Amino acid sequence: MPIKELNVQKLVDDNKEVLQLEWSAGRSGALRVISSNDVYRPGLALSGYVESFPFDRVQIVSMTEFSYLDSLSEEECRKAITRMFSYDIPVLIFANGTRPNDFIIPHADERNIPVLCSPQTSTVVTHLLSEYLDDWFAPTTVIHGTLVDVYGVGLLFTGKSGVGKSEIALDLVERGHRLVADDVVTLTRTARGVLNGAGNELLTHHMEIRGIGIIDIQGVFGIQCIRLRKRVEVEVILKHWDEVGEVDRLGMEERIIEIMGVNIPQVILPIVPGKNITVLAETIALNHLMKISGLNAAQSLNEKLLDRMERKVQARQKLGEDYE
Amino acid sequence: MKIVRTITIENPLGLHARPAAIFVQAASRFSSEIHVVRGDIRVSGKSIMGIMMLAAEQGAEIVVEIEGDDAEECIEALSAVLSADLEKDGQ
Repeated sequence: MPIKELNVQKLVDDNKEVLQLEWSAGRSGALRVISSNDVYRPGLALSGYVESFPFDRVQIVSMTEFSYLDSLSEEECRKAITRMFSYDIPVLIFANGTRPNDFIIPHADERNIPVLCSPQTSTVVTHLLSEYLDDWFAPTTVIHGTLVDVYGVGLLFTGKSGVGKSEIALDLVERGHRLVADDVVTLTRTARGVLNGAGNELLTHHMEIRGIGIIDIQGVFGIQCIRLRKRVEVEVILKHWDEVGEVDRLGMEERIIEIMGVNIPQVILPIVPGKNITVLAETIALNHLMKISGLNAAQSLNEKLLDRMERKVQARQKLGEDYE
Repeated sequence: MKIVRTITIENPLGLHARPAAIFVQAASRFSSEIHVVRGDIRVSGKSIMGIMMLAAEQGAEIVVEIEGDDAEECIEALSAVLSADLEKDGQ
């Protein structure tokens, strides 16, 4: 999948408020593309060590670099800046209220390298920009499925077209759960390895129900029934009963699958006429909550059973050996 | 068998709700797996919401991917549906 393109103007627009970014020079380079999700403090590059200089990252300059430049003679300063600007750096940000000096501005304008200023400290700029860039460059994919927040658990329903994903979502919404996206879910893996699902901005909580047509969930059921994005926690595959074969009857071990490199428990739910799938879906969500709080019903029942049997054996041994 | 075909949208209003519904209805008659791709978005060809999400305007190129036993009949039917005057048929 091609990666979305991020240019400097977009970065400025998206972070204008939090970072209070201001243009200082190089506006003609506003469409320069940022291709790395890392940021870099170019202190070494300024001092002359440019071997393996990661110039393609967002460069952040603050007090240290600033006072270093200040300590240089005019000639040395000019040299340091010419050297750094000989690389195609996407953007240079002056943090902590520092401002580019008189050499930098004409040089940046000439080389079309955007220079921005922020009153925020370099730590804040680095932190917020890294977060923003991680989000931007996070891998995304679009899948066919329905995502519902059931008791705070993100259930991703998948299965063949017409198996009843939307109908189950509708039933869940009617019982007070929240719809994230129907039919088309955009999945994103965050830098922390969390899988998030969201709907499409055009389709926003609309749903197609066979026989009724397209309905607007927020309009019909209200704002409490929708959610913009949710972590995907369990995948529920809906299958026709005759396609399923052997199903898990115990639930002792979780079946784990990988979606975009993230491990997610998976439940295969056979669809049979007359079965209340909605209640089953709620149970899956509650059972997941139990499991993450360390309680596995099947395991603890089995432990009780093993314990009971062991005590029986012990009693039998004792009685068997106790001859009169 | 797998068939991949690129089709240009000719409908002046693009692939909006009505033609999307006609496409999906035609697609649902086949057992093959059908996907429609536009740019970096790939959706099920049997989902109205999916097709609408592509927002394929007139002149847009979409790629129809079909995999299954009836793929050949399916691509013919879907190409015919897309090239027909969907506006009129949808009334």
